Amino acid sequence: MKSINTTTLKKFDLLFIAIAFVMLGYLVTFQRTTDFIIFCIFVVSYDLIYGYMGRLSFGHMLYLGTGAYATALFCDHVSSNPLLAILAGVVCSALLGAVLGPIVTRTTGACFALINLAFNQVGYFLVLIGFSSYTGGEDGMSAFFGNLGPINFNNKMTVYVFCLTIMLFVVYFVRRLTSSPFGILLLTIKENESRSQFLGYNTVIYKLIAFIISTGIAGLAGGLSILNYTYVTPSFIDPTRNVEVIFASLIGGAGSLYGALAGGITYMMISNYLPNYIQRWEMFLGIMLLILVFWFRAGVWGYLTRFSGKPGKEMGS
Amino acid sequence: MINTLAYGLTIGGILYIISVGLSLTFGTMRIVNFAHALIYTVGAYALIAALPFLGGYFVPATVLAVLAAVPLSYVIERYIIRRLYGASIDYAIIATYAVLLIGVDITKWIWGATPIPLSDPVNQYLNIFGVSLPVYRLIIIALSLLVFLALEIFLRRTMVGKIVVAGLEDREAVSSLGINVEKYFCLIFVIGSCLAAFGGVLYSPITTVHPYMGFQVLLLSFAVVLVGGLGSMRGTFISAFVLGMVMAVTGRFWGPAAETMVFVVMAVVLIIKPIDV
Repeated sequence: MKSINTTTLKKFDLLFIAIAFVMLGYLVTFQRTTDFIIFCIFVVSYDLIYGYMGRLSFGHMLYLGTGAYATALFCDHVSSNPLLAILAGVVCSALLGAVLGPIVTRTTGACFALINLAFNQVGYFLVLIGFSSYTGGEDGMSAFFGNLGPINFNNKMTVYVFCLTIMLFVVYFVRRLTSSPFGILLLTIKENESRSQFLGYNTVIYKLIAFIISTGIAGLAGGLSILNYTYVTPSFIDPTRNVEVIFASLIGGAGSLYGALAGGITYMMISNYLPNYIQRWEMFLGIMLLILVFWFRAGVWGYLTRFSGKPGKEMGS
Repeated sequence: MINTLAYGLTIGGILYIISVGLSLTFGTMRIVNFAHALIYTVGAYALIAALPFLGGYFVPATVLAVLAAVPLSYVIERYIIRRLYGASIDYAIIATYAVLLIGVDITKWIWGATPIPLSDPVNQYLNIFGVSLPVYRLIIIALSLLVFLALEIFLRRTMVGKIVVAGLEDREAVSSLGINVEKYFCLIFVIGSCLAAFGGVLYSPITTVHPYMGFQVLLLSFAVVLVGGLGSMRGTFISAFVLGMVMAVTGRFWGPAAETMVFVVMAVVLIIKPIDV
């Protein structure tokens, strides 16, 4: 990693990411890598709010779950076209984000984290009990996708290629977004919101837009995971699972797109293989979180860029 | 009707006892303390551990369980939370959540994940207007009022309490008077944690004791603190009973929705009156 110049990396980053994930596919089987990719998309969506906008949310699973359930319901009741179903998931998540966004983005700090958690709890209840006749309650529901022309989405390899393509699109989109004036404005909101207000920016609108984009991408991750698993259970919307994405975001280094990807892969590696060796998985997660918070705030990517000579800008903090 | 009222007051009383500690630490240290749920769980488990040694007597076991929270909360305050003063609030949330995860896993390690039921320690019923109510619930309501009064007297009448209240308002001004604020904050943290353990002890005979019992109550008590206004003792008191009644009334019509309704109320309150932390 030391020898890689960061500018060449930026130029060909999509290629590098694609190669990395194909190599990962050979390393840990392609089916697992599909999981990794979907989780990485989710971490990227989370990092948009946490890393770039500086708002810690404890309820992002709500949007993943909304996307997942919307995709499954659309698939079962309207059309089994996978593209349309995933699109429905994205739209539903983004719509939910647009409805809840004006409420939650007005708050900051602890309030933001907790109100998101509360909404997530409400969503979990609705899926588990409130609408259990549609969602199947605790048992969940399955979704069967039809073919898209000649492409058979029941083939795991197809799903892998599809997810990888989507992830590259997401990475490209988010990179464009965060390097645009809009992304820089988000960083200023993170640093000092009232100052950016003094400069004449209507920060409420920008925060809302960022929130909706983030929820839409989270819904995309949810839809893709249904494409991968072909079933959905309430664990997709379980509020206690939020810590996973926070952990991934921290371990990779919040506030950097590549950090989010590195964090997603690292987390999935740990959660896939470590429980085989370590019985007390939650304790390990807790201790790792403490270590990250106290001594390792820049995350994996922050340290990699530090060693590559160029001090990474805006790491952690 | 009376049953619902009594249930709401019981829930409100327990919610008050648990969330007042949260409100105190939130108000003084501006830290969202997820580890509060851990102390609550530990309180309930300490009760279970202490009961057989004390021949099944509930009161001394309660005292022991509450005392067990003192060293635990001191360690958490000293080595986790004190290091995070002034740091971003996000790190405090994540660190205390990590403590909660570790602690829950340790309780699972020691006692197992299966829920442990506890029987009603009083097991007597009182007839009010033709409705029989468990005396234990009435005791809980009385105890919560007692805790409220004791805290009011402590905060308004004693010197230590006044320093704490002043610290709630303006921490730097108090420390510029040469008072070691951190010492008092540590004391407040320990008191709040003891109350959390007490709440766990009181609530365990009504529900079952299991390692994850803290998570749900924590969310509810956060709702209480946010609805009551951060760091406001009386606001917490009122909102605890209001939300307890909300739970009881909702539960009467549709049981599973009771807790969700609390969050709906909280969302409505936050929409009307957003809080900046």
